[in-house]
Amino acid sequence: MAEQKEKPRKVASMGMVPYEMALGPTWTRFFEGFKEKKILGTKCRKCGRILVPARPFCPRCFEPMEEWVEVAQEGTVVTWSYVNYTYFGVTPDMIPVIGATIKLDGVDCGTGMWTQIGGFDIKDFELVTKKVKVGAKVRAVWRRKRQGNFRDIDYWKIIE
Amino acid sequence: MGRAVAVIGTGQTKHGRRDDLSYPDLVREAVKKVFEDAGITLKDVDGVVYGSMPSMMEGVAYNHFYFADALRVVGKPLLRTETCGSTGQSVAHTAIHWVASGMADVVLAVASEKEHEGDAQATMMTILEPFLQVVIGGAPLAFSLQSREWMGYYHIDDDKAREAASIVSVDSHNGGLANPFAHIRVQLTKEDVSTAPIITYPVRLYDVCPVSDGACAVIFASEEKAKKICKKPAWVKGMGFRGEEYFIGDSNKAVWQSTIEASKEAYKEAGITNPLKELDVAEVYNPFSYQELMFLECLGMCPPGEAPDYVIKGTFSPGGELPCDPSGGVLCCNPIGAAGLIRVAEAALQVTGKAGEHQVEGAKLALSHAMGGAEQFNGITILGSEL
Amino acid sequence: MQKVGIVEVAQSAGTESPLSLMEFTYKPVKEVLDKVGLKRDEVDMYILASTDVFHSGMSCANAFDWDASGAFMKPASREEGDAITAFVYGCMPIMEGRYDTVLVVGLIKGSENPENDTLTSFVADPFYSRPVGIQETTAAAMQMRLYLQRYGITEEQCAKVVAKNLGNALFNPYAHIKKRVSVDDVLNSERICDPLKALECAPKSEGVCAMLLASEEKAKKLTDKPVWFKGWGSSMDTFYLGDRDLLDTQLKTAAASAYKMAGVSNPRKEIDVAEICEPYAFQELLWCEQLGLCAQGQGGKLVDSGVTQITGDLPVNPSGGVLAMNPYVARGLYRVAEATLQIKGKAGEHQVDGKVNTALAHSTYGFCGQWQGVVILGG
Repeated sequence: MAEQKEKPRKVASMGMVPYEMALGPTWTRFFEGFKEKKILGTKCRKCGRILVPARPFCPRCFEPMEEWVEVAQEGTVVTWSYVNYTYFGVTPDMIPVIGATIKLDGVDCGTGMWTQIGGFDIKDFELVTKKVKVGAKVRAVWRRKRQGNFRDIDYWKIIE
Repeated sequence: MGRAVAVIGTGQTKHGRRDDLSYPDLVREAVKKVFEDAGITLKDVDGVVYGSMPSMMEGVAYNHFYFADALRVVGKPLLRTETCGSTGQSVAHTAIHWVASGMADVVLAVASEKEHEGDAQATMMTILEPFLQVVIGGAPLAFSLQSREWMGYYHIDDDKAREAASIVSVDSHNGGLANPFAHIRVQLTKEDVSTAPIITYPVRLYDVCPVSDGACAVIFASEEKAKKICKKPAWVKGMGFRGEEYFIGDSNKAVWQSTIEASKEAYKEAGITNPLKELDVAEVYNPFSYQELMFLECLGMCPPGEAPDYVIKGTFSPGGELPCDPSGGVLCCNPIGAAGLIRVAEAALQVTGKAGEHQVEGAKLALSHAMGGAEQFNGITILGSEL
Repeated sequence: MQKVGIVEVAQSAGTESPLSLMEFTYKPVKEVLDKVGLKRDEVDMYILASTDVFHSGMSCANAFDWDASGAFMKPASREEGDAITAFVYGCMPIMEGRYDTVLVVGLIKGSENPENDTLTSFVADPFYSRPVGIQETTAAAMQMRLYLQRYGITEEQCAKVVAKNLGNALFNPYAHIKKRVSVDDVLNSERICDPLKALECAPKSEGVCAMLLASEEKAKKLTDKPVWFKGWGSSMDTFYLGDRDLLDTQLKTAAASAYKMAGVSNPRKEIDVAEICEPYAFQELLWCEQLGLCAQGQGGKLVDSGVTQITGDLPVNPSGGVLAMNPYVARGLYRVAEATLQIKGKAGEHQVDGKVNTALAHSTYGFCGQWQGVVILGG
């Protein structure tokens, strides 16, 4: 094998690949709901659970979920975390953010990764740890102009 | 359950920052070592199973093609298994099933990562579909959310969880110091860990795994072959794998079903009813110190909600009833696709008395484990010195 | 080693679907379960096949695929690579005696991903191959030129494969390309990568294929006509094209292993139908040689003879093959599904005449067929 006499060499390269994914009827309808400031879930005819976002089928029962319900826009914080670092695609001006899982009233699952808490000076970490608690009540705050996508909910506000 | 299967050799690279090697050469290093350890030649191997993280992280798609020579698989069958972070365990399981089925007598399992060549967090964020889950935070966000969910569910206060997580971190980093393969080899105190910079609160810098390059190779053989060619086989006693729903809010992540059920299947096969008492060592997947606390509970090693108490009293520390991650674990070394297989290799080293400075005295039964996805998948393999 | 039977199969069509990948995958999986009369939870294990780079840009494909594949809280795993590997992996736990039923699913929505050539260019290593533009099509073109020159195979003979397969596809309800083409149409199509012409290259299709495997006892309970897994062989070639004889491929090794395991000593006589993966038309001829269905260098003569027509003595790709339907990752499982339907006598309008006792399913991916796999099924 060749001897390494100088610093190891590297080759830098970047690839960019376009994708175009079908939203499908279920999520198209879900996001149409966002345009109307509605959060839509679907109910499983077998286990009766209501899931958000709306689903084509229940992952557990494997039956189609064809009953649509409008769900509450308020819920309880199941968990939260304060994000304060960067990586490729995230710049310092984009942080901090507060990610959270919220259990909307009447829904049988948490929101998982797609909800963020805001509405106050979240750069103040001490304030964040005071205000944001597991069990806190929150409500969705919509953007004035909505496109039917994830940006339509601006943030979730802590209801004192 | 088909015929018995054993690990007859392991090989690991010196994990860490390996700018000195091309990616194929990194794989070559681990494969060379496993052949030396097993004392067999190329013609003895019937097939190869390979795994790594997705293409975006690797920089090369289907990199098993690129590594054909390094894997010594030319002219032989290759399967490629991938389940995100639990890939290492799934690769081992594929190899085990292959041998147990009778279609192969000896299978080489290899997993690798060269994370300094790509961007791990950016890749992991593309696990999330781009319709709704467009968030900032990477893997640390997912696992911090889970940690706080667990703390909230069991009403564990921040300080107690913080202390237990710091002990996990300190123990793991001490393990790294005793493991010549580990990436991170630094001395830390609980104070260092508890006051480090915040990444995704409550997770701080030393609560998080490093970005590592590394490869691991393990050779599995049938009972007949193992008894013929290996002085000290590490027998596969049990295995299990489960995955939950895609949307992480769909299941309770404090009472982590996939971990619980996967370990139940593995324990049942291994005839283990009391993991804490019967296991001698556990290589638990711990990219996040807090997460290990959940694993200890969901792997049945302590009662639900009580992991901090058990950790604080030293149950899982060196010299404790069930030492965890004597290799330094994933906290000291995380070439993601390989990490799960490294746990298997480390379990094999323990039960065959080959773990050198980080050997747990008299270890006969070891658990290895890995997790994948955003808290979605869990895989377990239990190895023992006796058939 | 326990026997493994294929109980039932389901396929999606190849044309672009407006459904999300999740909805699209769910349908054939549900169809198989309904056909067999099993609940999702009653199946012992699930094996998926998909590929992140061909997966709508979502990494760790198993995460997103899990729900629609039915794998929630079941023993399960995912093969990254051609779905024929998921089939083989699915057989293993049954052979071991560990599980009785395994559901295997291969999935992709080709319409959501960029060109296959864009994606396969990432298979090329970044130092030597990618900068000069090596991807699956440019590599295949080089292989084709060598094939034409070394054995005197003609471009007409290669074009006949397209005419044959697309003709067969008209009778396959799931096929993507439904267009009768003549040899002249093929020869006159654009030379996208000489000597490869546009019509000689596979399209880019959607495709989800699901099948239920079972132990002998269970299979016999679940269906009147189980199709038995008889043998498998697979082999990898080395990576750099210059290190290989592009016409002396690892398919020979793979086929030999499969035939040995299945007890096939004269493939030309004993194989009743073959579903072969031919993303480039000439490869059907080359693979036939490497599979021992004709002598080396005689692939052109084979297609001329009419033996591989759907009415011939050894029909090859009665389904239309990959030239008619190319769901890149799932295509190997489609070959197994089609071979299964032929043995069951359930291939409808593209069913070959006569009794099908032994069928061959082949798949390949990687440059010039770097990975080769062969599965033999029996009635």
